Amino acid sequence: MKTKKIIFILIAFLYASISANVSAQTVENSDSLAIATTSQDSTSEMQQIDEPTSGLTFIAHSFTNFIKSTGFANINWQTILMIFIACVLLYLAIVKQFEPLLLLPIAFGMLLTNLPGAGLFNTDLFAGGHVHWESFVDKGGLLDYLYLGVKLGIYPCLIFVGVGAMTDFGPMLANPKSLLLGAAAQLGIFATYLAAIGLGFTPQESASIGIIGGADGPTAIFLTSKLAPELLGPIAVAAYSYMALVPVIQPPIMRLLTTKKERAIRMKQLRIVSKKEKIIFPIFATAFISLLLPPAAPLIGSLMLGNLMKESGVVERLSKTVQNELMNIVTIFLGITVGATATASSFLSLQTMEIMVIGVLAFSFGTASGLLLAKFMNLFIKEKINPLIGSAGVSAVPMAARVSQVVGQETDPGNFLLMHAMGPNVAGVIGSAVSAGLMLTMLS
Amino acid sequence: MNILAIDWGNAFDIVGFSITMVFILLVMIVFVLNIFSRVVAPKVRMPKAPSVDNPVSTSSSEKEYVEEHLPAGHSAAIAMALYLYYEEAHDEESTVITIKTVERRYSPWSSKIYGLNNLVK
Repeated sequence: MKTKKIIFILIAFLYASISANVSAQTVENSDSLAIATTSQDSTSEMQQIDEPTSGLTFIAHSFTNFIKSTGFANINWQTILMIFIACVLLYLAIVKQFEPLLLLPIAFGMLLTNLPGAGLFNTDLFAGGHVHWESFVDKGGLLDYLYLGVKLGIYPCLIFVGVGAMTDFGPMLANPKSLLLGAAAQLGIFATYLAAIGLGFTPQESASIGIIGGADGPTAIFLTSKLAPELLGPIAVAAYSYMALVPVIQPPIMRLLTTKKERAIRMKQLRIVSKKEKIIFPIFATAFISLLLPPAAPLIGSLMLGNLMKESGVVERLSKTVQNELMNIVTIFLGITVGATATASSFLSLQTMEIMVIGVLAFSFGTASGLLLAKFMNLFIKEKINPLIGSAGVSAVPMAARVSQVVGQETDPGNFLLMHAMGPNVAGVIGSAVSAGLMLTMLS
Repeated sequence: MNILAIDWGNAFDIVGFSITMVFILLVMIVFVLNIFSRVVAPKVRMPKAPSVDNPVSTSSSEKEYVEEHLPAGHSAAIAMALYLYYEEAHDEESTVITIKTVERRYSPWSSKIYGLNNLVK
């Protein structure tokens, strides 16, 4: 068997050498004709052309060219580091299961974009914050085409349709005061805006960084793609990473800012919300917020459209589609393309480190402000509210509400806060969309 | 980076305006929802505690509007009872699948006495 293999390899090698030689001879002949017409001074040039004419040299030449064209030859330490980061994120998604639906495609997009020579994503097609349509046909890779959905603000809105269809506004309608907790949690966005300004970011970049505090991925992507597209990669990764880390970041702050007595407060059962209320609310909210704040219309409109589909009960098929198929498809596209923006050149910078640090502060500040407003409200209202539901004001639906439930049950296992926390949680989605609309109005 | 060179006035203006706007907008929605809930919300009357002097009227017309609310603890207990009931609704099957003894039972299918070659006498 071994001898047969060796003979086969030798024959293949011989055949390759002969065919390479023949083709080199053809090239030589045609070149010789051309060279004959030129002056004698070009002999050195002729020698250079003659070089690859020998079979073995030709193979060596082709082999060198092939090696040079591979990604291995073009790899550098930045690329290796980015591939390592992508692998760490993949590990977190697969093994630790931190928000795997998003983290897995993001991490894989990051891996794809950092493979040298693959040309899947070309940042120069989107240089200067504009889409260079004229170069798209020649240069556009797979991820460039998919990225158009982010760039044109399509994916975040489609995600919001799905989020709306999966969200029950009932707890918020039953307890409208929870809207205030949702508003308070937005203070994290504005505090971070100031911090980013202090670090030397432009107002547009600062607003995009601040929106991480809203803990709302689609809103963060929507605003950043409009105001600071060059920061989309780090901001999206920071926003989704911290959203995945809600159960880690929030509980210590919640325990620190509340007493055991406050955590044990039992809230009155929510009233029943009629179907009529649930149907009228999305229509009213869309019209009211969009008329007052037109830039927020795409996000609010999409969210409410999805919710109306669910609550009306007459378009069951559409509702199911946006909740499952559409949401899943858009999540794949969004995740891969957002990950693709995290190229070595844009990601490995001091700016990214600053964004990651400010991002976690934004998140913490949003959590704290929701809690503190709930405590403040308790000074004036008769029926006390459990301050733990204030932390759910940072969107992250429904993870933040679940954290309120879990922390509440640590103190009193018989206390069910989940539905109460869903009110501020949903209000946080509306609040962050409104904040994004305000930032767009003032800074675009 | 000189922190004093930043136009803090403008930054604080933006932040102040944005926070105010977010709160105003959401407070307006709270007011609208409160009004809205009074108009649209289903009419729910809690049953009065019966007393000797003033017994609760039990006319059929009033009974239609009465909708009792269960406390959260009761709801949870009922949910748990239902959960346990459905969990136990399945037959419990023996998990022992090893055949310890091979029984050689008599079966006419393998019996040679009913073979076709045996003619009826």
